[in-house]
Amino acid sequence: MLKLHNLSKFYRTDEVETVALDNVNIEIESGEFVAIMGPSGCGKSTLLNIVGMLDSPSDGDYIFMGENVAGYPESKLSNIRKQNIGFIFQSFNLIDELTVEENIELALLYHNIPAAVRRERVAKVMDKVGIAHRAKHMPSQLSGGQQQRVAVARAVVGDQAMILADEPTGNLDSAHGQEVMEMLQSLNAEGTTIVMVTHSPAHADYARRTINLFDGHVVTENLRAAV
Amino acid sequence: MLKNYIIIALRNILKNRLYAFINIIGLAIGLTVYVFGSVLVDYERNHDRNFANTDRIYTINSIFSPAANIGIKRADTTYAAFGEFLKTGMPQLEAMARIKRQEFLVTIGDDDYYQEIRFADADFTKIFDLEYITGDASALNDPSSVIFTRSAAEKFFGDVDVMGRTILLDHQNSLTVAAVVEDLPANTHFNSSVLGEDDMTVLAPMLALKKLIDYDPAIDWGNISLGNRMYLLAPPNHDVAELETSLETTYEQHFAEDSKEFIIGVTLEPLTQANTAFWEAIGLPVIDSISILAMLVLVVACVNYTNLATAQNMGRAREVGLRRTLGAGRRQLLIQFLTESLIVALIALMIALVLLELIVPFFNQSLGKVVTLNHLSILPWLALTTLAVGLISGGYPAYLITRTTPIDSLKDGNSGGARTSIVRATMIGLQFVIAIFMLAMVMVMYFQNQKVKQTIDLFPTDQILVLERLDVEEIAQQTDTLRNELVRLPNVENVSFMSQVPFEQNNSSFEANINPGDEATGFSMNRLRIDYEFLSTLDVALIAGRNVSRDVAFDGPVEGAQQANVLVNELAVDQLGFASPDAAIGQSFHQILDEGSIQLTIVGVVENQNFLGFHNKLKPFTFRVESGQRVGAVRFKPVDVQQTLQDMEVVWDRVIPNYPMQSKFLNEAFEDVYTIYRSINIALAAFAVLALSLALIGLFGLAAFMAEQRTKEIGIRKIMGASVPQVVRLLIWQFSKPVLWALLVALPLAYFSMDLYLDFFSDRIGLPVGIIAIAGMIGVVAAWGIVAMHAASVARSNPIQALRYE
Repeated sequence: MLKLHNLSKFYRTDEVETVALDNVNIEIESGEFVAIMGPSGCGKSTLLNIVGMLDSPSDGDYIFMGENVAGYPESKLSNIRKQNIGFIFQSFNLIDELTVEENIELALLYHNIPAAVRRERVAKVMDKVGIAHRAKHMPSQLSGGQQQRVAVARAVVGDQAMILADEPTGNLDSAHGQEVMEMLQSLNAEGTTIVMVTHSPAHADYARRTINLFDGHVVTENLRAAV
Repeated sequence: MLKNYIIIALRNILKNRLYAFINIIGLAIGLTVYVFGSVLVDYERNHDRNFANTDRIYTINSIFSPAANIGIKRADTTYAAFGEFLKTGMPQLEAMARIKRQEFLVTIGDDDYYQEIRFADADFTKIFDLEYITGDASALNDPSSVIFTRSAAEKFFGDVDVMGRTILLDHQNSLTVAAVVEDLPANTHFNSSVLGEDDMTVLAPMLALKKLIDYDPAIDWGNISLGNRMYLLAPPNHDVAELETSLETTYEQHFAEDSKEFIIGVTLEPLTQANTAFWEAIGLPVIDSISILAMLVLVVACVNYTNLATAQNMGRAREVGLRRTLGAGRRQLLIQFLTESLIVALIALMIALVLLELIVPFFNQSLGKVVTLNHLSILPWLALTTLAVGLISGGYPAYLITRTTPIDSLKDGNSGGARTSIVRATMIGLQFVIAIFMLAMVMVMYFQNQKVKQTIDLFPTDQILVLERLDVEEIAQQTDTLRNELVRLPNVENVSFMSQVPFEQNNSSFEANINPGDEATGFSMNRLRIDYEFLSTLDVALIAGRNVSRDVAFDGPVEGAQQANVLVNELAVDQLGFASPDAAIGQSFHQILDEGSIQLTIVGVVENQNFLGFHNKLKPFTFRVESGQRVGAVRFKPVDVQQTLQDMEVVWDRVIPNYPMQSKFLNEAFEDVYTIYRSINIALAAFAVLALSLALIGLFGLAAFMAEQRTKEIGIRKIMGASVPQVVRLLIWQFSKPVLWALLVALPLAYFSMDLYLDFFSDRIGLPVGIIAIAGMIGVVAAWGIVAMHAASVARSNPIQALRYE
């Protein structure tokens, strides 16, 4: 699915150069469920942003589905991104002014899909994540778990091959957190590649492989037997 | 504490430089325009304050019947003969004096000058206290005396000590200098003509005109010429209502009966209004409009400030929450925010004062005015305006920001909600209503002016040189010779003498009637005294009958004849009741005189051409070959014009050696009048551009701010795959709604206002829907452009920047 080869990312300010990622080599196969772990500031989110093409690497190659996208301009990245990748954030990032339904539809809005088809797919995915009864509600009227379910629905409604989740359970209590993890697991079972950043070892256990980052390096990779 | 507020305010201004700059510049422009407009209006409305009797001096205005069809609503004077009845009809008056302006060739020593002289009744010096350098107020009592102003004396004699020196008028009659007076200030109506009349420099007794041109004001029931005023001096502590009543009674009893249909009333106007009477006369409220427009620009600037400050303060909710948590009371916060807006207004005021100091001298220089900035009288009022502007525009945002509870402000950096956004949208809407309205007015005026300008094409205007002063007897006797000599010049095609050339705003008319006895069928017919070359020189097309000819007896002047052959235009044919131009040939009608009538037989009908041009309605015209031509039209080939002009001068000097040739090109004469239309348009355009710029500047600031507020949403949308144009479109749409609402209000408003304005013109452009729509589009597109400029940079930024700090 994707391959990072000698990939580095550093940030420069006037005086300091901060290295966020240093010569990272990672390969992720199609259909994998990968967890990325590590202490605060180790480069997890930077890695996820680069994988999600929201940020570009400073050095090295990023081969996504056979294409080296490292030097691509934003417009091209944006196109690849919206076809293939769905995002889930710790703080949900729903738009406050839009209803549940409209928030989910947002992921299809920029894909040239006819309105009728959009509505049908949004309805289907809402059923799947169990949020259909809240379709007309605003995000502020939902609990955190419900909001994250909307975010999951938004991430998968476009049939994206890969989902990137940045601490999807960070803002949730344990019951809701587990709910979301189960949802991700079943998506993975249907074939969706999932890359997830998490602090929780328990939630990392849902993944087949865990990558541990420390100060921008990959330190260990643990492979678990299939569940 | 206050010091603390001021320091915080200044720091905030420095921190948000862009917004502060927009705020201050916007307010400064608004204040400048408002103050300048007010000072200018005050200046125009307060002319003639320098005379001791200013409050007791009145002029008499005439109100024309709407049916009079002369293109103006009133005149700043009336028939001179009416003045004779005022002494008896209004016995309380202390004095009455009339002015008649007349140009003469003035010979002083060996030099000749064409000079306009104001002839005045002797009481003129009783009404106006002129400052005598030599001589005294009795100077106008002697019919052979003349008064010079200082600058005129210096110009003509090189000296002010010229008592007893003589000047010769038209080589015939001499006048003796009986007084020299100081120049009158520029802010008197004598020296501030909109029409570009000469300043008052030479003053002579009305009685002298009897000898000079056989003019007797006591029997003049025929001429009304703007600027030839009639002044009255009322006693101290007079009752205006009583004066008006006696004037009305005098009008009823003594005004010429046959003129009452034309002039339906006379009014008493204070001297201080004489300066603005021109605008009253043509019916365009230019002075009032300046006041209103200046005010509107200030409103736009204030709204700008309010709107931007509101949006900006919303971003400071966290700061406010913190302050309140730390114990700041609502009152203190209010004071803090108001201090800020007052400081901004104060800085704007200072910039405005600097701008005014720059603008006023420039304005004075380019328009020959003496507008002064009297700081002593302006400053208190300006300070109050600034205070009001600061409080009004700062008050709303301050109220909003301090209204929320501390915990709300801390929790949600983006409070405010739907209601404030409606208020904001309304304010943007209001700005654009004003800006689009003005823009639409400017454009309609512009296109109407273009239409007015087209009247220049009615005649071969740029191939005509106008020779003036042909009514002097010595010149009039030589016109045939002059013509014969001029047409021999290689580039001169034709020469025609007539009583007025196209575009001259004179209405010379007589009462025309098919049957002399039947009053019901009579109407006012414009007349033009022409010669046999008239049609070919001015390209006037004959559509029926024949041209006038030297070979037909009654085509030209016949001594003592009560009949003549004439040409008329199509409209005259209609009004006389003939079925068609062809049917009118050979038919007769009558020119009604005080006693008897002259039978006029139509031998030719010419095309309708708007001889007066500009805003005038088409009028029925009779063209008759008779003496009394005032001007000549020399048609030349448009090659080597300078040489041709020199050749013509040589010919003139040979034929008429005693009078220098006085001439101007017909297109110059056209420009003299057209410039008034253009100036009004330019002035309004300046206001509109200011209003629109202010609205756009405000919109830019607001768009920048709102885009900042929506970073999170923009980030999410971009991650979802929204492209830059899609995000730009989203942001533009947010600001389009108020602008589109503004269109809905401004366009009908502009439509109805323009309809009123266009009524002033006889040949008006079609319904200005298209033009107004374009003005609206300009407003909308400009707004889009401004928002897009900012939105594009926001939309292009990396989406994770937007979400990183969530």
